[in-house]
Amino acid sequence: MRPENYEAQRHPPSNEFELNFGPNHPGIEGNYALKVKLHGDVVVEAKADGGYLHRGFEKLMEQRLWIQNIALVPRICVPDPSPMEVCYAVAVEELCGLEVPQRAQWLRVMQLELSRIAAHLFTFGGHAATTGMYSTMYWGVADRDLILDLFEEFTGGRVYSIYNIPGGVRRELPDGFLQRVSETLDYIESRLPDYDNLFFKNQVFVKRAKGTGVMSQEQALAWGVTGPNLRATGLAFDVRRDDPYLVYDQLDFEIPTEAHGDAWSRTLVRRLELVESIRILRQVVAALPDIAGPIRAPIPNPLAWNVPAGEVYTRVESSKGELCYFVVSDGGPKPYRVHVRGPSSMHAVQVLEKMSVGSRIEDIAQTMFSLDACPPEVDR
Amino acid sequence: MSSIKQIPVITERKGNPLARVFDEFVRFCRSRSLFILHYCTGCGAIELPPAMTSRFDMERLGIQPMVSPRQADILLITGYVSIKTLKRVILTYEQMGSPKYVIGICSCTVNGGMYWQSYATAKKLDEYMPVDLYIAGCMPRPEAVLAGLQKLMDRIHSGEANSWEDYFRNYDYYLGNQQKLFGENWQTPTDIITEAKHYDLIGEGTLGKHTQLLEQHQKPLEALDMRLGHDLKEPTE
Repeated sequence: MRPENYEAQRHPPSNEFELNFGPNHPGIEGNYALKVKLHGDVVVEAKADGGYLHRGFEKLMEQRLWIQNIALVPRICVPDPSPMEVCYAVAVEELCGLEVPQRAQWLRVMQLELSRIAAHLFTFGGHAATTGMYSTMYWGVADRDLILDLFEEFTGGRVYSIYNIPGGVRRELPDGFLQRVSETLDYIESRLPDYDNLFFKNQVFVKRAKGTGVMSQEQALAWGVTGPNLRATGLAFDVRRDDPYLVYDQLDFEIPTEAHGDAWSRTLVRRLELVESIRILRQVVAALPDIAGPIRAPIPNPLAWNVPAGEVYTRVESSKGELCYFVVSDGGPKPYRVHVRGPSSMHAVQVLEKMSVGSRIEDIAQTMFSLDACPPEVDR
Repeated sequence: MSSIKQIPVITERKGNPLARVFDEFVRFCRSRSLFILHYCTGCGAIELPPAMTSRFDMERLGIQPMVSPRQADILLITGYVSIKTLKRVILTYEQMGSPKYVIGICSCTVNGGMYWQSYATAKKLDEYMPVDLYIAGCMPRPEAVLAGLQKLMDRIHSGEANSWEDYFRNYDYYLGNQQKLFGENWQTPTDIITEAKHYDLIGEGTLGKHTQLLEQHQKPLEALDMRLGHDLKEPTE
């Protein structure tokens, strides 16, 4: 099957051949493709081929009101949408000089950490499936659904919550919700040993993941790697601790790191982050009943809201890495320019291209899933 | 959809009553074993893992994901299709063996949804390929996906889900829309007209000015030189 208007390229005779890996391929994460040059089953060269999910977000956002963009931004990264809306809301608040009430900030932390757990469980599922262990995928997706149920009750949406608005959050917690959060956390924590036995200590996984897709700390920094992938190379950098936003400076948590920078380390960092997220959520659940007050700062009529001129750069730590927004306002009802700096565009393009070289073809999928790249966010 | 010709209602096989019983049996079997092509075209694909795995469990309806288009029955268009994806979707659709069914999940396939003003997405899916069923919502819950699939099963059983015939009968209309989007020299490796003749589904809308344009631009696809072992040398290090 050849694509349309395809000209067969005449290469000098060699043992290398080209392979189109994706976009319709179960080993690739989402709608994304790699053009791979192989020698035997060893990758000689890999070229990322994105753009299948391009929707032109940055242009779309210039054509919509400030408040309308809240509904648009979560669509940028589908598996982990919450940091998108929080980051955008924080950017607009900084432009307007809005003071966000304490309670809203704690609620946002709860949303972000729940979203992180859901995204990590989903990644484990996908990663396990690339090594042929479908039970972990079934477990991960089923346990993620428990978090999505909480989201549905808490924000009204299973996947896209659209819970934040500039100035605060949209609704108060339902009755008895914190109790249900603790019960779910207890359940997920009780499941972690099972996950260890099924997946993280499984020799099928350990032997395949160790030494796959290795990068050193210097390489990671040069390639713009952030988040769990950077922490897997031994550098304890986390925006939540090093440039605190919301109320993360009042919370007590560790930054897990691993030394080797391979697929195994990256997955293990995520596994350890689950524990930290559960720990953060326990603190939020304990603190929230004592924090009274409004959940939203008063904002002007959102349909005729001229945000003061200026530019702002905000960043949050999403489950994939560092997520940043650069927002420019010219004092009008719509943003003048919005730029999204997503973590996956680095991980899925330049890092994946370089790390695939020299690995075998069956490890490409594992490398991609261990990098936790998110194609909708690469293409935007 | 004005240029689409009215499709005649499927005619019952005349003559042998045993053939009718056999057709009914075939339709029953088809509706009970469906393979979904594993192609995540957009964000709606995030609700498919829950629908497929233990919680909602699509497999109890006899529906399973399948990796290759040649063996798949259902093409799920899960969300917006950018122009680049739409080309691949059409290539994939034409590769699938008949009978094949298309389900448009999410509002984006109906009218563009969130991205109604985006320069990069195709707004209405049914201009480019026939769609059996839409599941609206942004994004539809797994229950809605399952309800949609059950509806499709009922339609297959009753013989109503024959949009794939529509593609052969009105190929000129669909090809025209594709040419409008991808340019006049758009061609796919699949020969739809020959296939339509094979199924005896040449309708009034199969041939037209767009298929003439296709013939003008079509160049024969040369076979790839797949000979191995000639002039092969070990790559020098």
